[in-house]
Amino acid sequence: MATETVAPISPLTPPLAPERPVVWPPRTAARLACGIPVHMVERHSIPKFSLQFIIRSGASTVALTEPGVAGLSAALLRTGTHTRDEHAIDEELRRFGADLGTGAGADASWITTSGLSEFSAELIALVADLARNPAFPVGPFERERRNAVEAVRLERSSPSFLASERFRSVLFGQHPYSVVAPTEAQVQSITRDLLTAFHLTHFSPSNALLLAVGDFTPSRLVEQLDRAFHGWAGRAVEQADEPPLPSHFGRHVFLVHTPGSVQTQIVAGNLSITRQHPDWLRLTLANAIYGGAFHSRLVANIREQKGYTYSPRSGVNALRRHGYFAVHAAVRNEVVAATLTEIFYELDRIRALPVRPDELADAQAYLSGVFSLGIATLDGLAGQLATLYLYDLPEDYLETYRERIRAFTADDVLTAARSHFDSANMQIVIVGDADQIESQARLFGDVQVFDAHGKLLSAD
Amino acid sequence: MQQLHIPVEARTLSNGLRVVVSPDATAPVVTVGVYYNIGFRLEPRGRSGFAHLFEHMMFQGSENAGKMVHIRLVNSSGGILNGSTRYDVTNYFESVPSNALDRMLWLEADRMRSLRVDDENLRNQRDVVKEEVRMNVFNQPYGGFPWLDLPPIANRNWANAHNFYGDFQDLDAATLADVQAFFRTYYTPRNAVLLLIGDLDPAAGFALAQKHFAGIPAGSAPPSADVSEPPQTAERRGEVAEKLGTLPALAIGYHVPPRRSPDWYALALADRALHGGRAGRLHRALVLQSQMALEAEGGIHYPMGDVFDYNGPMQLVTRILHKSEFSSDQVIAAFDSVIADLRRSPLPAAELDQIKVKLRSDFYSTLEGGLGAHVPRFGLMHYLACFTLFDGDPNLVNSALDGFLRVTPGDVLAASQRVLRPENRSIVFRLPAAQAAQKAAD
Repeated sequence: MATETVAPISPLTPPLAPERPVVWPPRTAARLACGIPVHMVERHSIPKFSLQFIIRSGASTVALTEPGVAGLSAALLRTGTHTRDEHAIDEELRRFGADLGTGAGADASWITTSGLSEFSAELIALVADLARNPAFPVGPFERERRNAVEAVRLERSSPSFLASERFRSVLFGQHPYSVVAPTEAQVQSITRDLLTAFHLTHFSPSNALLLAVGDFTPSRLVEQLDRAFHGWAGRAVEQADEPPLPSHFGRHVFLVHTPGSVQTQIVAGNLSITRQHPDWLRLTLANAIYGGAFHSRLVANIREQKGYTYSPRSGVNALRRHGYFAVHAAVRNEVVAATLTEIFYELDRIRALPVRPDELADAQAYLSGVFSLGIATLDGLAGQLATLYLYDLPEDYLETYRERIRAFTADDVLTAARSHFDSANMQIVIVGDADQIESQARLFGDVQVFDAHGKLLSAD
Repeated sequence: MQQLHIPVEARTLSNGLRVVVSPDATAPVVTVGVYYNIGFRLEPRGRSGFAHLFEHMMFQGSENAGKMVHIRLVNSSGGILNGSTRYDVTNYFESVPSNALDRMLWLEADRMRSLRVDDENLRNQRDVVKEEVRMNVFNQPYGGFPWLDLPPIANRNWANAHNFYGDFQDLDAATLADVQAFFRTYYTPRNAVLLLIGDLDPAAGFALAQKHFAGIPAGSAPPSADVSEPPQTAERRGEVAEKLGTLPALAIGYHVPPRRSPDWYALALADRALHGGRAGRLHRALVLQSQMALEAEGGIHYPMGDVFDYNGPMQLVTRILHKSEFSSDQVIAAFDSVIADLRRSPLPAAELDQIKVKLRSDFYSTLEGGLGAHVPRFGLMHYLACFTLFDGDPNLVNSALDGFLRVTPGDVLAASQRVLRPENRSIVFRLPAAQAAQKAAD
């Protein structure tokens, strides 16, 4: 068990100077004539800007009915429109000094780009064309579907993929958040018509959001966006009702057997809250003390004291409708039980006892400081904007984040840990060689063993 | 064309420590870095992986900031920290609110002056490093491919050809005496540069640097080392088993001309024509058109770095994952026909122009960006450090693009003809275990 050793701070340590004010840069909001809301932050550090076009429908929207369609649809967006083929698109982007990415996560699909501000009108026109007029050309469709088949085969060789696949499946049961990737057969069965239908149903001004950061004048940028999205009309988009979440009683172990593995990937956690929940920032603070920072208890314990792992971490992952708490560690096979013991020891400790005042102050300073770091870069600003608007947070969320974090007490941390770190009912996924780790895992609950393809091999 | 100008001021302390300051008042934060001019290329023989293991030891305690104290003081000042080991440098850096600048310099100076570590720290970090290697190499599809695979095949000088992450027996053999000797030899003020970037007044930055670092003894100059690589005269090939992945893979590396030579500038543009994303010729030919490959990416110093952040022999690398129904020979033939094109005809002017625009744009983002947003101006710090240590002039950051922007289609053609020759390259194959067994049975 970890003994709590607090290394002394030398009296020679320089004190912190008075803090300089941290001001979140002003945002400008607008609404395009077609209805899309736009949020902008002007920043002239380099002659570039970034634009995020976001659709509030993603993989989970179709995970139970047409798995893989959102992802493949996003991949195809850049492969041709009614007036541009993919080579023309790629060359235009290079000419604008631009990078462009398309993708779909659980809750959203997106086109993100970053390019030289001197080409902003042209780049915006290109993004709007990709968003509005994708052709889903047959040649690229066949190619991308085949590549997606290879990709889903390949990801089964990645321990972290196998861990997250099993973990999400266990936590979310029949809910669409249970699916992190389609199967090979599901990808094979996707047709071009399904992609076209997904686009028609979900890509609509009423379901879209635009976020821009960088070297531009907001009024001019809005003019350029208005011109590019002029006349875009789309259907009203209804988000489907979702099935209920499963309840979890007791700890259970789900072992994904990868014969010969020289390391074991551990993920343990429970369903949790979203950013909308009143406890969100309290829980963020509790997590920073538990395992969310380098100086956190879990990292100090299983990395710096015991050397079990290189990269332990914990996090509260908030998707739009539900969140989950997860602890991750990749450890050598001999210490799977020892690591789980420490994971639960630290969880039970933070649930049982108030954190020390210095730990609380350290974590508060850490979170509020790291938040300031995020303001310093275009990527950081873009990320914070996306969090605010994709998750529909209160408009003053960013401006008040630091003071709210700093106002919490040890009691707040204790309450959050007790409410949301569900130690007794945590689900444990381990990916590794069953012959070496199954008996260790059994100490923590009944064990179901799966192969890498999800086939149940044995169950207690 | 808009030009970006970065303010740079530099001084050298009496003990030889170079100090570079770049003020930027965008946000009330600073990024502090210390770069030592020692990377994995020069670690001691019989101690593969030592430079990286040593990097871990620099977080284990110094005279006035014991184990976990350094980390705690950075985090509790509102900052984050990390380090990395590269071919020719090892870096340590913190990003913090600017009111913690004094404290960060004190911490960095304390570990430059007085590393205080013991056998328990060494055992602990050896275990941590082994899990790092297992996670990133042994238990990862295509782990270490090709950054660990290609150097032993392509190079003849041990400095360039050994296992940079470290053989476990070498990691086990490392002693506390090795740690102390390495520290004394390479971790001296004269072998380092201190970078201060962000919300600070340069004069105040230099004063703080003087206050904390000036008293550290200069140490002796590190021994000179020969990292040169004999010219290659015939193609080299090798194989590495792929235990996890499902697709065959191969990587091709050409030795590149010396940094900042005319051919190097031209080859860097050839590289961007070949790689450089989806518009790159290799991606277009192998992934989009012939559809043999799922990935065809690469670059000079790929995937560990770029054209600026190394100082010695280096390779232009292409990494290809391809479909099983195509043989390696077919893929290499397709690759060769792209190379042959580049060696036969000058780049069309429009293509070269686009590449230059993209190069400039990428450079700006690298300077501004922050390793996933939380180390503001990491790229600027990194380039200032490399230009100081390798070229003696941090201000090169303001002219670094010029040599590339002057390159003509004729230059690219000539450099491609001189460099992209079969006898100047090495190929490593990663065949998935199941397919390798099948191949052996056929």
